[in-house]
Amino acid sequence: MLKDITLGQYFPGKSFIHNLDPRTKILCIVIYITVIFLIKSFLGYAALAIFTALCVFSSKIPVKFVLRGLKPIMMFVAITALFNLFLTNGRVAWQWGFLTITYEGITLAIFMVLRLFFLVLGTSLLTLTTSPIALTDGIENLLSPLKRIGVPAHELAMMMTIALRFVPTLLEETDKIIKAQTARGADFESGNLISRAKAMIPILIPLFISAFRRADDLAVAMECRCYRGGENRTRLRALKMSYRDGFGFGAIILFTAIIILTNILSGRLGLV
Amino acid sequence: MIKLSDICYTYMSDGPFEKAAVKNVNLTLNSGEFIGLMGHTGSGKSTLIQMIAGIVKPTSGKIAIDGQELYAKNCDMRKMRFKTGLVMQYPEYQLFEETVFKDIAFGPSNMGLSEDEIKRRVFFAANLVGIGDELLEKSPFELSGGQKRRVAIAGVLAMEPEILILDEPTAGLDPAGRDEILCKIKDMHQRLGITVILVSHSMEDLANLTDRIVVMNHGELAMFDKTAEIFKHSEELKRIGLSVPQITEVCSRLSEAGFPIAEGIYTVEMARAEIERILKSEKS
Repeated sequence: MLKDITLGQYFPGKSFIHNLDPRTKILCIVIYITVIFLIKSFLGYAALAIFTALCVFSSKIPVKFVLRGLKPIMMFVAITALFNLFLTNGRVAWQWGFLTITYEGITLAIFMVLRLFFLVLGTSLLTLTTSPIALTDGIENLLSPLKRIGVPAHELAMMMTIALRFVPTLLEETDKIIKAQTARGADFESGNLISRAKAMIPILIPLFISAFRRADDLAVAMECRCYRGGENRTRLRALKMSYRDGFGFGAIILFTAIIILTNILSGRLGLV
Repeated sequence: MIKLSDICYTYMSDGPFEKAAVKNVNLTLNSGEFIGLMGHTGSGKSTLIQMIAGIVKPTSGKIAIDGQELYAKNCDMRKMRFKTGLVMQYPEYQLFEETVFKDIAFGPSNMGLSEDEIKRRVFFAANLVGIGDELLEKSPFELSGGQKRRVAIAGVLAMEPEILILDEPTAGLDPAGRDEILCKIKDMHQRLGITVILVSHSMEDLANLTDRIVVMNHGELAMFDKTAEIFKHSEELKRIGLSVPQITEVCSRLSEAGFPIAEGIYTVEMARAEIERILKSEKS
């Protein structure tokens, strides 16, 4: 159950995408997400699919592994699709009692599903190819101009690093606690919703306690090493752009141009 | 009787981090035995005992307890888990109830026992691990580390399992606390005739307590024999990152120095008896 979480999991590798500067990847993903919401036609989605497939292919991560990230959002996607399907006004395609499906609803539902899928695919590709530390370094660097207006960029990045650092630890801890309570006969599977929620108490309380304890220990350990925020800190791995990043930006700009082109084209031809 | 046939366990199967934790283990443990389990860190000890306790399903292979195959379709896993009590590493982190009494009662009440029976078992288990009645109404989070450990162990003992599995129950305890807990476990083993599986890194503890010892190495079964036999293989144990009790080491050095001491000594009492015997025979 806990192993299905791909989002935020790093898949080590040495591919072109792995080796991009994290700042490049973050900026590209921001552009990618914006573009997803700009697409107005199926032609555009086809271009998006091809571009995403190329990215996944060049990352050399098994496709199965990338697609696993979609599993947890399936329910959410299905509900979104249903809402769009039934609650969009337009030309009626099918009617039964108070349920109405419109042609516009069908298109919108499909668009919504595609958007969510590519959104998750793109972001999980980012986290799969970028180690959490590189990711937060990139974010800190990109946010640093905002330090002038008082945004605590370094502290935010540090908080993110620590939070990400503790995801696997806490998952492991949860797994251990579940095992221990199962051994004592705790039952998480049967019963109604209320008794199931109650069955979570023996897991959540020890988990919270250990999370607080770890936070406390970490704070003390940081104090002991005289940690005091971002001023004048240097890095072991300084971020450096290379020719690869030029390619990366080139690719995403080309992609954006193609999408805009498909929007214009489909507008002219009157396609959906 | 616990019978393991061709047990394998693989972590993260079909991922980049795939790792075989336990490989092809075959074992038969008799009822009422005190079994020791040793191996270096990451040798698959914890995974192995969790599979026996019915918490982790083996990737392949069969486990049968008293003839009932675990994880089979006709097997009521919850019932089987009541038969085996598992004390995991650092069990004090599983405490969660408002009072010590309620926490120890968690297992027994999951078993669906009557109020009176639960009460009896809680007092019995608390008494066994040396938790006084005055502590039972306290919050488990007010206790010291050693006391928390005892409460957690009591929580498993209160289920009165036929097979008690302990994963390094004394790690991080002071010497007095360690000896006391081990003494209680031994006492319980003798009085109730239960099977005990003890995972430990202390050769002395294993030498003093166990009938037979299982040695794991890189997920494979390296040795399984009577305690005395195991500690005769000092070279082999050292090669896989383990050792023999200090007294065994002392005896083998004596023997190398020409002192006619017998082989296979692994407790201080045995060594003492043997040395006295030799000294006496030399005098006469």
